[in-house]
Amino acid sequence: MADSFLVIDDSKLLHQMYRLIFSQGTLAGSTVQYATNGRDGYGLLAANPDLTLVLLDLNMPQMNGLEVLARRQAERLHPHIPIALVTTEGSEEDEARGRAVGAWDYLRKPFQPADIERLVTRARAEAAGRT
Amino acid sequence: MTADENPFGDLLQDYVVECLPLAEQVGDVFVELERSWRAGDPAEELLASVKGRLHTVKGNSAMMGLTPMQDVAHALEDACALLARASERRGDEAAALLIAGTGLLVDLIRTAPADGHGTAAADFVKQVNGFLAATPHRPTEPEERRQGDRRGSGSTGRTDGTDGASSVVRIDFRRLDALLEVLGEGLIQQSAFAELHRRLLRRVGPCEELGELDQAVVAMEKTLKRLESTLMETRLLAVSTVFGRFPRMVRDVAHAEGKRVRLVVAGGETSLDKAVLDRLNEPLVHLVSNAVVHGIEAPAERARAGKPAEGVLRLEASSVSGRVVIRVLDDGRGLDEQAIRGKAETLGLEVRSADSAHLHQLIFMPGFSTADQVSRLAGRGMGLDVVAGSIHGLGGTIEVDSAPGQGTTFTLSLPVTLAIVRSLIVEVDRERFALPLTHVAETVRAEPEAIREINHRGVTQWRGDLIHVADGGAILGTDAPVRPPRRFYVVMTAGAKRRGLLVDRLVGHQDVVVKGLDPALGRPDVVSGTTILGDGRVACILDVVRILDGARRAS
Repeated sequence: MADSFLVIDDSKLLHQMYRLIFSQGTLAGSTVQYATNGRDGYGLLAANPDLTLVLLDLNMPQMNGLEVLARRQAERLHPHIPIALVTTEGSEEDEARGRAVGAWDYLRKPFQPADIERLVTRARAEAAGRT
Repeated sequence: MTADENPFGDLLQDYVVECLPLAEQVGDVFVELERSWRAGDPAEELLASVKGRLHTVKGNSAMMGLTPMQDVAHALEDACALLARASERRGDEAAALLIAGTGLLVDLIRTAPADGHGTAAADFVKQVNGFLAATPHRPTEPEERRQGDRRGSGSTGRTDGTDGASSVVRIDFRRLDALLEVLGEGLIQQSAFAELHRRLLRRVGPCEELGELDQAVVAMEKTLKRLESTLMETRLLAVSTVFGRFPRMVRDVAHAEGKRVRLVVAGGETSLDKAVLDRLNEPLVHLVSNAVVHGIEAPAERARAGKPAEGVLRLEASSVSGRVVIRVLDDGRGLDEQAIRGKAETLGLEVRSADSAHLHQLIFMPGFSTADQVSRLAGRGMGLDVVAGSIHGLGGTIEVDSAPGQGTTFTLSLPVTLAIVRSLIVEVDRERFALPLTHVAETVRAEPEAIREINHRGVTQWRGDLIHVADGGAILGTDAPVRPPRRFYVVMTAGAKRRGLLVDRLVGHQDVVVKGLDPALGRPDVVSGTTILGDGRVACILDVVRILDGARRAS
C-alpha cells in the first residue's frame, strides 16, 4: 500500500515545498493531505488511522503544534502514528515541551528533501517492526 | 546558499506572495506600536501579535536559503522577545529599530533573490545585537546560537521538481506585453473579417452562408474579448504593492515634521495594471507627504482647534465602473483659500468672483504653491501641477475637495490599464487618429457660423463657455493643400483644460491595443503611441494632455 502523509502547516509556501518533495524519488506516488491549522489537522488525524507520518508545524494560529500534540496525548488518538514536530531555530524550549507531549521526532527548518526521506524511512521501519 | 541552488528555488514567487504581506503587516504593527508607546500604552498584545508572522517569515526564508531575510527576521524576533520582557527598553529608540528592520525586510523580500543586500542585513543584525547587549538581561547569545544552527544543512538536494511544482509562475512583464501585441493582431484580423463580411453582404445580398460567416465572426470576437480580459487580469497587481510603503513613509515624514499622524489604509486588494501602478507611485508619494506636511497640523495647533492631537490620513482604493478610484484624505486644516486667492492675484488671475471649487482647482496650475516655507520633504520633487500632469498622462483625473479646518481630499480616477484604450477614431485629411475616450467630452457638428475667429484663433460657445477650436490638420501635421471645411469638432478635456479639435469624419469607437512609438514617426509631440486599425492601417493615438498644453506635431 502506498504511504499516506498528513502535513499540518499554515504556510502555503511550505505546502508547495512538501508537494514537491512528496512527488519525487521514493516518495513519488504517496498520498498527502494538507491542513492549514492545528484544528483542521487534528480532524484529519482523527479521520486517518493509517497515516505513515504526520509533519506538524509548531508555529500556527488556531491550535499550534504543541496544542495538537497535547490534545492527541490526552485523548490517546492513534498513538501509533509518528508525528514529527517541524520547528525553526529559536524554538529549542518548545522542542523540549514537544517531547513531553509525545513528539516522535523533530524536523528543523531549513530542511532538505533528503531529511524528509530519512524520517519516512524510519517511520516505515518502525511500523514494520510493530506488525 | 542562493535561491537558485536551493531545491525550492522554483517557489520564489510563492515565497514573495506569502511573505511580503506578512512583513508589511509586521511593519504596520510596529508603526502602531510606536504610537502606543508614545501614548504611554505598553501595547503588549501588539508586540505579541507579530511573533507568529515574523517566525513564519524566518522559517520560510530559511527554507528558501535566503539568509539575509532569515537573519533580519531573526534579529527582529530577538528584539521583540527582549522588549516583551524588558518594558524599560520600550521607547522611540526601540521602535525606530523595529521599523527600520521591517522596512529592510520588506525591501529584501520585494527584491528577492537579489544579492548584494547581505551587508545591509548584517549591519542591521549588528545594530540589534548592540541594542540587546545594552541590557544586562541578555548578552550576545543569539548570535552564537544562529551560527551553530546554520551548520549541517549543506546538501543541495534535487532540483528536478516539475511534478508538484508551484501554481504560481513568474513571468517577465515584457512577455505579457508581447502576448498583448499578438492579441492586438488577432483583434485586427477579426475586424478585417467583419469588414469583409459587410462588403460581401453589400455585393451579393443576404444568404445562408453569409449568415453563418457573421455568426463565426461574432463568436471569434467573443473569444478574443475573453482572451483579452484574461490577459488583462494577469497584468493586474494589487494596489497594496504601492500602499505598502506608506506606513513607514508617513511615520518618517510625521516624525521629521513633529506631527502625530495615523495612517488608515483601505481597499489595498483593488487591482491595477502594473504599468499604471508603476507610474502612480510617485504622484501618490507626493500627495501623501503633502498631506502630512501641509495638511495635518502640529499637535498644538490641532489642540487649539479642538481636534485630537493625532491627525488621521486615509488612503483608500476602490473599483468604480471599470475604473479605479484612489482617495487621499486628511483631517487637517484644509486648503487656505485666502492664500490661494492672494497667489492667484499676484499671477494676474481674475478670481474676485471665484467660488471655493474654482479656487481649489487652481492649485494644480504650474508654479502654484502656497506653502509658506518650502518643506524639506514635500518641497522636493514634483509640485501639484506635475502630480496632475502625471495623472492626466495616465488617462486619469484628479480632483480636490476641501473644507476649512476639516481637511482635504484628493480623488484620483484611473483607468485599470494603459494597454488597451477605449478610443474615438477620427479622420483628418484622410489620416486616422485615436482619441482616448477619457479625454473626449463631446463631439459636435461644426456649423461654420458657430465658430468665430478671435485673435486669429477659432473660438466657439460650448456649454455656456468660450473654448478654443483648433484645426486638426494644423495640430496633427497632416498635409492637404486645399481643405474643405471640417465637418465636426471633438471637445477634448484634461483637468480644467478644454479645447475643440476640428476633424473631417467621426469613424467610431474602438478598443485599441497600444503599441510603442515607432521611431520613424518622428518626434512624438502629440502622439502617445500607435495602434493598428481593422483595415490594417496604422493610426496614431493622440496625447490629448500635450495637445491641450499647446503641443503641435513636429513636421
